[in-house]
Amino acid sequence: MDFYFGLAQLIGVHTLLGLSAYIVLLTGQVSLAQAGFFAVGAYTAGMLTVLAGWHLVPALGVSALSGAAVACAVGFPALRVKGLMLVIATLAFGEGVRLFFFNFDYQIAKGGIQVGPLGGEGFRQIRFFPENGWETGEVMLFIWAFVAAAMALLWWFDRSRYGTVLRAVGEDELAAQSVGINLTAVKVSAMTVGGAIAGIGGGLYAHYTTHIEHASFSILLATFAIAYPIVGGLRSVFGTLLAVIFVQGFLVEGLRFLGDWRNLLFGALIVLAMNLRPSGILGRRRA
Amino acid sequence: MLDFFQTLSDGVLFGATYALIGIGFTLVFGVMHKINMAYAAASVGGAYAGLLVLKVMATAPPALVFFCAFVAGGLLGWMVYVACFHFIPLSSPLATLMSTVGMMLLIDEVIVHVTDGMPQGYPAMFDDVMLRAGEFSMRGDLLLVFGVAVLAMIGLLLLLYRTRLGLATRAVSQQPVAAQLCGIRLVRVNALTFIVTGLLGGLAGALIGASVGTLSPLLTVPLTVKGLIVTVIGGLGSVPGAIVAGLLVGGFENVLQLYRGVTERDLYVMLLLFVFLVFRPGGIFAAKGGRD
Amino acid sequence: MLELRTLSRHFGGVRAVDGLDLTVQEGQIFGLIGPNGSGKSTTVNVITGLFPPTSGAIVFRGRDIAGLPTHLRLREGIARTFQNIRLFGQLSVWQNLWVAQNSAQDLAHQGFFARWLGGQRGVREEIGRLLEFSGLAHKRDELAANLAFGEQRRLELARAMAAKPKLLLLDEPAAGMNSEEIGQLRSRILKLRESGVTILLVEHVMELVMGVTDRIAVLNFGQKIAEGTPAEIQAHPAVRKAYLGGEAA
Repeated sequence: MDFYFGLAQLIGVHTLLGLSAYIVLLTGQVSLAQAGFFAVGAYTAGMLTVLAGWHLVPALGVSALSGAAVACAVGFPALRVKGLMLVIATLAFGEGVRLFFFNFDYQIAKGGIQVGPLGGEGFRQIRFFPENGWETGEVMLFIWAFVAAAMALLWWFDRSRYGTVLRAVGEDELAAQSVGINLTAVKVSAMTVGGAIAGIGGGLYAHYTTHIEHASFSILLATFAIAYPIVGGLRSVFGTLLAVIFVQGFLVEGLRFLGDWRNLLFGALIVLAMNLRPSGILGRRRA
Repeated sequence: MLDFFQTLSDGVLFGATYALIGIGFTLVFGVMHKINMAYAAASVGGAYAGLLVLKVMATAPPALVFFCAFVAGGLLGWMVYVACFHFIPLSSPLATLMSTVGMMLLIDEVIVHVTDGMPQGYPAMFDDVMLRAGEFSMRGDLLLVFGVAVLAMIGLLLLLYRTRLGLATRAVSQQPVAAQLCGIRLVRVNALTFIVTGLLGGLAGALIGASVGTLSPLLTVPLTVKGLIVTVIGGLGSVPGAIVAGLLVGGFENVLQLYRGVTERDLYVMLLLFVFLVFRPGGIFAAKGGRD
Repeated sequence: MLELRTLSRHFGGVRAVDGLDLTVQEGQIFGLIGPNGSGKSTTVNVITGLFPPTSGAIVFRGRDIAGLPTHLRLREGIARTFQNIRLFGQLSVWQNLWVAQNSAQDLAHQGFFARWLGGQRGVREEIGRLLEFSGLAHKRDELAANLAFGEQRRLELARAMAAKPKLLLLDEPAAGMNSEEIGQLRSRILKLRESGVTILLVEHVMELVMGVTDRIAVLNFGQKIAEGTPAEIQAHPAVRKAYLGGEAA
């Protein structure tokens, strides 16, 4: 049973990552930076609970804010960069974040040992859950509460004018400008919301794995992040959820019997999926 | 001061390999307005394939290994084309992007599996040769790398500007529909672009292996990022831009490594990219027919 | 309402618009015609802010708007349609109108939350009226990309109207239409003028231009070569020469 709870935790956290890429993708921006915001959230929450003794919930709040702040800062220069250049720029940003944490040390002594992030070794002993007696099942539900909240928020956006404006910008920026939409405000706000969601996801990730390091936030993770909404299709948030379940649940875990080969399969399956269904699992609205 | 020039010179010589990788990215972008994210991975893959020569004949000369890498690169380039661009409709740019990312991961994993993740030694030529001018020296193997890269670039430029294929490629990059209406077979041009860039990439991979001495799958991601940075700084779609930018990045990176160490070096290369994006997003040279 | 003072827009060596002086009075339907490449569309693009002018001034309701970004010009009251229709194809008819409600009045009218995060209820009536006006009420949930060509043109116009503009720039709205459709377009344009909108009509289709405008300016090579009532323009020798060629001046 614990195995399935663990899988559900992973799916939950990755769904948050995917949702953060989803909202940015709606505006037509392909961002490989979401893993970077995720990393910022992870280290922030970890440091607050471990070094400053905070409770997890406010720590996650700060994770969301820090993710949002960094994303907002990235959002502005991102405006000057179009299409594929944005992919490259966000890719480089994500790598930059990873390299930053690779070089980042901040340790203090607690209870006789040194705790805190230690460069390449990473950040161990993020033990809020075990220290406070949380069971695996409870952690899973906690994570999914946030997932549900994020999905509800994005679903609400989709039905509101904001979501429609996001999609209009994603479809035709020139037309959007000409009908009075402020492109800067729309694109930066989407990036900021995405950053907040990724930040929370990162914070949760840090706590259920208890050990994070720079290598966890690599290009592979950034790829997963953007793969989910692309594979799931932009029709609705559920597409992203389905994509996460498909990729993580079926692919990575279900093919476990293939042992080491399943990583190989991930790449191959993406190639196959994109050839067979270029518009994603749920696709676009019928046109 | 001497250290600075020495480091700069070494870096620029090595930067020729970055230039080749940058050219590969930029050429595909120029012709198809797409980024082939798998390019650096395929280049490294080609370099690994070159090592197969040594399996067959343990005393094979390095030049043969390089040649094998060159050919393997072209083959891999064609495979990437078929897997990621041939069947997917061009109106789904996200799909092609994702599939090249998938290919990148796939190639990486295959390399890791076949080599059990162990780095492999790579043959070099002239590694014991040093050209000296007083205190200043240039490593023979780096000079070779630079020389071969320059020859490859000249070959490519000749191809682009003196042959019918090159003309067709440039036509397609400027006006794909009109080019087809003039009888240019788009599929052929696209596939050939991938093969040619693949050849260059395999060679670049081999040259990198030769100058570093070993080849490891860990090369793929940093090489992808650096190649893309070179492409952007040089201007998407501009081959001369990629050349200049490659040398620039090579030199810059090495100098920074001298002053700030290896771990911080890559951060500064990233910063160089952001400086360009903010102040000169078009790159050093304007891109040919660059929309997007 | 709108005044263009020695407006110029150059692209490198090409003088798309060259020293153009134009005044459109409030409530007028002003036509802008000229052969292909005469600078009509560029003029529209400069007025709406897609390109900055190379020199000259754009004065709208007494205010120089040359420095204003496009979306703010919309808020000032300038809306446009596109020659090659630019609808949001993946959005429904209703949604296309909804995202376009960005006039200054709408902004003042609704609070931040209601405007952005609220649902459709508050604006149902207004959008309903726009749908009625363009005869698209029965297609309100249809994706814009699925509409017939004529319907798309009507939606394009309705979307421009959703922003409650004071000045409406129509960029070749009659292209591809048959006589009947042109007649319908004509009456729609006249109805818009009745509701208080000033219209600048860029057009090739003479049937529409001559039948609906109060005043016409003729461009050639970026410069105004004639201005007057439809009757005057039809008789004007320079206009004939521009369109049909003839001896060098």
